[in-house]
Amino acid sequence: MSPSVTLALVTLVAPLAAALVSVVIPPIRHRGMPAAILTILGSLLATGASALLLMEDVAGRAIRATVPWLVVQGRGLGEVGVRLDAVSIPMLGVVCLVALAVQVYSVAYMHGESPRSYGRYFAYHALFLFSMNTLVLAPDLLQAFAGWELVGLVSYLLIGFHFDRPTAARAAVKAFWMTKLADMGFLFALLLLYARTGAFSWDVALRPEVAEATAGLVFLAVMGKSAQFPLHVWLPDAMEGPTPVSALLHAATMVAAGVYLVVRADPLFAQAHWVQGGMLWVGTATAAFAALLGLVQTDIKRVLAYSTCSQLGFMVAALGAGSAFAGYFHLGTHAFFKALLFLGAGSVIHAVHSNELKDMGGLARRMPLTAVTFALGALSLAGIPPLAGFASKDAILTALEGRAGWIPWAILLATAFLTAFYMGRVLVLTFLGKPSAAAAHAHESPPAMTIPLVALGIPTVAGALLGPWLARGLGGEMHLHLGLTPVLASLAGLGGLGLSLVTYLRGREAPLAGTLAALDRASVVDRFWAFGYRSLLLPLGGALRWVDRYLVDGLMNGVGWGTLEAGQAVRPVQTGRTRDYALAVVVGAVLLLILAAWR
Amino acid sequence: MTLRALLLVATALFSIGIYGLLTRRQAVALLLSIEVMANAANLVFVAFARYGGAPGHPLVLFALAITVAEVAVGLALVMLLYRRHGDTLLDLASEAKG
Repeated sequence: MSPSVTLALVTLVAPLAAALVSVVIPPIRHRGMPAAILTILGSLLATGASALLLMEDVAGRAIRATVPWLVVQGRGLGEVGVRLDAVSIPMLGVVCLVALAVQVYSVAYMHGESPRSYGRYFAYHALFLFSMNTLVLAPDLLQAFAGWELVGLVSYLLIGFHFDRPTAARAAVKAFWMTKLADMGFLFALLLLYARTGAFSWDVALRPEVAEATAGLVFLAVMGKSAQFPLHVWLPDAMEGPTPVSALLHAATMVAAGVYLVVRADPLFAQAHWVQGGMLWVGTATAAFAALLGLVQTDIKRVLAYSTCSQLGFMVAALGAGSAFAGYFHLGTHAFFKALLFLGAGSVIHAVHSNELKDMGGLARRMPLTAVTFALGALSLAGIPPLAGFASKDAILTALEGRAGWIPWAILLATAFLTAFYMGRVLVLTFLGKPSAAAAHAHESPPAMTIPLVALGIPTVAGALLGPWLARGLGGEMHLHLGLTPVLASLAGLGGLGLSLVTYLRGREAPLAGTLAALDRASVVDRFWAFGYRSLLLPLGGALRWVDRYLVDGLMNGVGWGTLEAGQAVRPVQTGRTRDYALAVVVGAVLLLILAAWR
Repeated sequence: MTLRALLLVATALFSIGIYGLLTRRQAVALLLSIEVMANAANLVFVAFARYGGAPGHPLVLFALAITVAEVAVGLALVMLLYRRHGDTLLDLASEAKG
């Protein structure tokens, strides 16, 4: 086993061990803090291992170490193991680093929880890191599917972390069934792939129609996991989970898993041109639609949630344009600045005890560190050069130049403007202006929360430097040029930000109010799925329950009842008297004798 | 004494044993009936060994040994029956009634 493989296994085993120990030994979990320490130790080990892996030069190389899984007749149904290359290693680093930052942050953020909840929270986190790394390191689609479902499970558990709150429980169920609905696509894609090739590798040449079907089915799952229109409705509701969870799962890593999977399975998607065309439009539509909805949210976390949707749309559009590098680069930078924004929002929420923007305001003086780091994240998201978000968004827009008659390019440029506008709004309403009653007594968060903010601020500022390195690994290259796109993108970012500062700092949002109220009614998608759930899925479930209870169970119970009754009916035959048995033996012998004589 | 006569005797013995088995209620009597039946079978073996040329003698010796063991077990059961119910009427042991 090569040292690289050992390191990769550490990133899997360390969090898994932390999760198992926390789960199996109740005192560790019930006391809370030991589970937190264990989880953070596991993440620290995983982060260290992934950092060592990042230092290796893997451009153009792939290390595979697998064992056959589910061996039947000497042949494994699939493989489990690790695949280390220029795609998996950067993602591994991002996941481990953000997870570590979020876990350290959570130590302070979650201190108000009871010890039992505290321990449970960190056990979930350890399980999440293991699951996510399983997905990231997957050597084929089968293991990717296992990791994919595991992160979905942890997402459900963490959204419903406060399961005693009905809204949280409902949001967890909603997230679960929306993503499971989409995951059906993944499952069918696996079956199709196995039927055609006898394996689960994405690295095969398929007949065009099979490639289109497989890629399309996988993309359905990607739409669910990465919250693409019209399957995005679960993500804003997922904000019911604790804020660090939103930062890690529902902004930085898990929702980006869909984008990662497309990059990972690039050989498959590159064969499916129709699907790529669909991705281009789905991504563009999601980016624009979610950005519009982001303009009208009054809850700081919901603004960020719609922003996540929108940015995932950018990534998917880039993948649809065939530029795996641009999508992947934006995934990486977005992971850092969006985790930073969520953790900053958590720091604010922690201080004012409210998610509503109207309860904030003027916090820049009271929480300088949070304000500065949050502003950096916001500027990066808004695409202000030379921050990381600008570089990756520029890469996407450059990749889209000339595609489909420049329409997606134009829409995404306008979306970049909207992005800057709504982030400017959040900045003003949170940190500038007049403090609300709750905000007047706010104070800076403890170091355990601010240190992760600063740590995530570094890649948020300097992430652009990673672009060329990432591009080389993926076999592409990054153009830094002074053309039409970067200039327009910068102008869109600055313009949007400036306009929103003017609008909200001076309190001039009145002319916009009518438009914004109209946008608020755009929750029609939500109602469509709610209708599907209440009017179709629940009655179907009811019908299936009836069939199960009265037909399937009825059959089983009937067989049991019949057996009992038949036993009762023949009971009297057994008299218990020896003579009767002897008589039966004699009669039997005589009958046999007659039979023998007769034959 | 011919083979036919011997077989008739054996059949008579066997029938007497069955009659006893079906009509007697005392456990010891039942054991005796079974012994009579067993000896009817032994008689057939010996008769064929003598007149039919079949090598039946060793089988009879085996059968005797097995019958002795069977009687030992049977008598032990009778003892238990007596201890439990104070009598040796086999109908008392009707725990297997359905």
